[in-house]
Amino acid sequence: MEERKPLFTAKDITKSFSGTQALKGVDLEVYPGEIVGLVGENGAGKSTLLKIIIGAQPQTSGTMTMHGAPYAPKNPMDGNHAGIGMVFQEQSLIVNLNVAQNIFFGHEDRYRRHGFINWKQMNADAEQVLANCDITNIPVRKKVFDLNFATRQMVEIAKVVNVAHRDDGKSCLILLDEPTSVLNEEEVQTLFRQMRKLAARGHGVVFVSHRLDEVLEISDRIYVYKDGMSMGNMETKSATEAILYEKMVGRNSSNEYYQLDKQIAPKEAVVLEVKNLSKFGVFKDISFKLHHGEILGLCGVVGSGKEEICSVLCGDESPTGGELLLDGKPIRLSSPEKARKAGILMIPKERLYEGIVGILSVEDNIALSNLARLKSGPSVSPKKITAQATQWIDTMNIKTNGPKALIMSLSGGNQQKVVFSRAMASGCDIIILNHPTRGVDVGAREEIYTLIREIVANGKSVILLGDTLDECIGMSSRVIVLQDGRITAEFDASVDNKPSQVDVVSHMM
Amino acid sequence: MANERGANLTITEEFAEKVKRANFMDRVMRVAPIMVLAVLILVFSCVCGFHVFLAPSNLVAILKQLAIPLCVAMGLTYVIMIGSIDLSINGVVGMTGSLAGVFVANEVNNLNLGLFGIALAILSGVAVGLLIGLVHVYLRAPSFMVSLSFMYVCQGIARLSYHSRILKITDKTMLWASGASFLGIPFITWMALIMFILCLLIQEYTAFGRHVYAVGTNEAIPRAVGVNVNWVKVRVFMLAGLMSGVAGVLGAIRLGIGQVSIGDNQMFPAQAAVVIGGTALAGGKGGVQRTLIGVLIMTILKNGLLMCNVSPYITDGVQGLIILLCVILTCEHGKTVISK
Repeated sequence: MEERKPLFTAKDITKSFSGTQALKGVDLEVYPGEIVGLVGENGAGKSTLLKIIIGAQPQTSGTMTMHGAPYAPKNPMDGNHAGIGMVFQEQSLIVNLNVAQNIFFGHEDRYRRHGFINWKQMNADAEQVLANCDITNIPVRKKVFDLNFATRQMVEIAKVVNVAHRDDGKSCLILLDEPTSVLNEEEVQTLFRQMRKLAARGHGVVFVSHRLDEVLEISDRIYVYKDGMSMGNMETKSATEAILYEKMVGRNSSNEYYQLDKQIAPKEAVVLEVKNLSKFGVFKDISFKLHHGEILGLCGVVGSGKEEICSVLCGDESPTGGELLLDGKPIRLSSPEKARKAGILMIPKERLYEGIVGILSVEDNIALSNLARLKSGPSVSPKKITAQATQWIDTMNIKTNGPKALIMSLSGGNQQKVVFSRAMASGCDIIILNHPTRGVDVGAREEIYTLIREIVANGKSVILLGDTLDECIGMSSRVIVLQDGRITAEFDASVDNKPSQVDVVSHMM
Repeated sequence: MANERGANLTITEEFAEKVKRANFMDRVMRVAPIMVLAVLILVFSCVCGFHVFLAPSNLVAILKQLAIPLCVAMGLTYVIMIGSIDLSINGVVGMTGSLAGVFVANEVNNLNLGLFGIALAILSGVAVGLLIGLVHVYLRAPSFMVSLSFMYVCQGIARLSYHSRILKITDKTMLWASGASFLGIPFITWMALIMFILCLLIQEYTAFGRHVYAVGTNEAIPRAVGVNVNWVKVRVFMLAGLMSGVAGVLGAIRLGIGQVSIGDNQMFPAQAAVVIGGTALAGGKGGVQRTLIGVLIMTILKNGLLMCNVSPYITDGVQGLIILLCVILTCEHGKTVISK
């Protein structure tokens, strides 16, 4: 095979966001005319890398080259000038403008005459741009609003190719971040044809997807990322789904880490039964039973519907179908307040925004969900609030200067313990933990695992959305896997029978 | 595991279906104002009698009542399209109306700047818009507070400008304009229609007009392609100031005096007109052509209720309820629609 020069290279790219390392040194090489697939679990760093390449975020360290020259974009426009274009996960077309206006958005100056835009010229040029991408049958005067998603995507690709187009005729690099998530089978094929055409013209294409079968179908070479590191790359010819799954997941952590000695077998009694729960366009026919003293793990990629199911269970959103049985009795949870009274409470993912009230003290934060019970007479009793907090600070081993300290002065792990205290103090029997260890350091993480074990030991039940797959499997006694809004598998995860990560991930993607 | 899309499309299909329904609702909302307008005309014609309600004299009256709200509402349309709000209208209209009186020939002072004075009055409106925009964008103050503050500032300036002695305008052009009409349509209505065409041209045929939609939809998109989003916003507020300025001058022409009360009660009907026309408070959607329908609805409603001898107090209440209803119907529920 002749020596080819790469179109684009990225070497040792790292990125840290306020302490956490999203990328720990990843590499990427794209050759002209090549379609490269990027795969990896949630949080593997795929989207972050693409954002760095286009210039939407700066890398913390590492270098990139484009056409052999050093490349360091300060913003997406620099990326465009260098010949790189990106189709973002959330579509970036202005729906109230027409196709031509979207394609030349931000570049109208070329068509300005006496202050007004020469739409005729722009429309003609837009037709040319579409033709250059071999896209036909899209009327350039039509508002994007009136187009379906697949057509919008075509417009977006044409737009991106146009902004990345270089007058010297050098080839471009087109980045596609999860472009197929809203497309149906036929539309995906249209998109793939488009990608092949781009590659045939010598452009490089990077394709990120959660759907392994699609990646295997379209790409020439596949990179696997895990926890912000490249796990290597391979020719698609020599790749299979099994190999990719294997590379994507890590080793299961030791039994001690998740305190398996404390894992208890759930009781027979069903506390919550979910029957054919559906939310139109989000998830469908979700049925499961939550037992007394059980930790039930929900696994799935972003967009699989697991977050939305939890929102419904804690009363934040209403379902469009199905029913919930609490202790065998049908129940409607029309608000978080109703859910809490029924005994279901969620510990939210975004602790800083949804979990704690930053300007309040530790004791006030703990008392938030059970103020009504801390009354003496008509008003709440400051004494009872302090007493309750003192007790929890002790039980939970919260490191604070006292119950009156501001919660913002605590570390992330200790803040999370305050949130847990509140959940326990609320008296709810079913606790939904949405990424309970996100942004928490290793030591505090261990303590949180202990807490979760204690919660169920006290007879409560937990639905867990783990921060990692490993955590979800390790902590849970049963795991439900979701894909595209449906349950695809259910695993027993008792102490001696933990499923492997590969088993689980193969039902997620 | 392979993705069995063929058999299991449902969620994707459902999603597509959801989008389709939203699009359908949006189309309904696009024609709804026109239907409402037609129904209003029909109802009032029946109740008051065709010969009364559609009499030339009443039609001219409607057109005359239309002019000032139309100007104000068009400026406001731009502001709402970028997802902001302008509450300075009463003040700016009052100020420019007062200044117009001060600058042209009147019974009190001897400035007599003529047309130049009128231009100056309108420019003062643009200047206020510029200030609102700059403070809002660069000091990151919410537009509703900034513009509300400026409403009071402008009312103060207006009162100071005529030292609490209401000016009777004696300028010949202004006096002529108050009575003039062409093809039966009053002069001030012609001016408003010219401004409408100008606003429509800006909206449809300039890059700025296109950028306004983008800023209202999602600021990150225009920012990523190098559009100066802040400058777009400032210009929108300047345009709103310009339209309020024109409205103030038209008000001075109509009343023949320069005084701050020209601006009274301009803001809320304008807001109602914009929303009823179908410009979303969340931004990114709408246009001055829709606002024209909204203004027609508001004007005809007011005129019709008056013709049917309904008490003007009730009319005000009805106006309030209508805007409330429209906001409830058009807001995208669940999304935060607090104006930026």
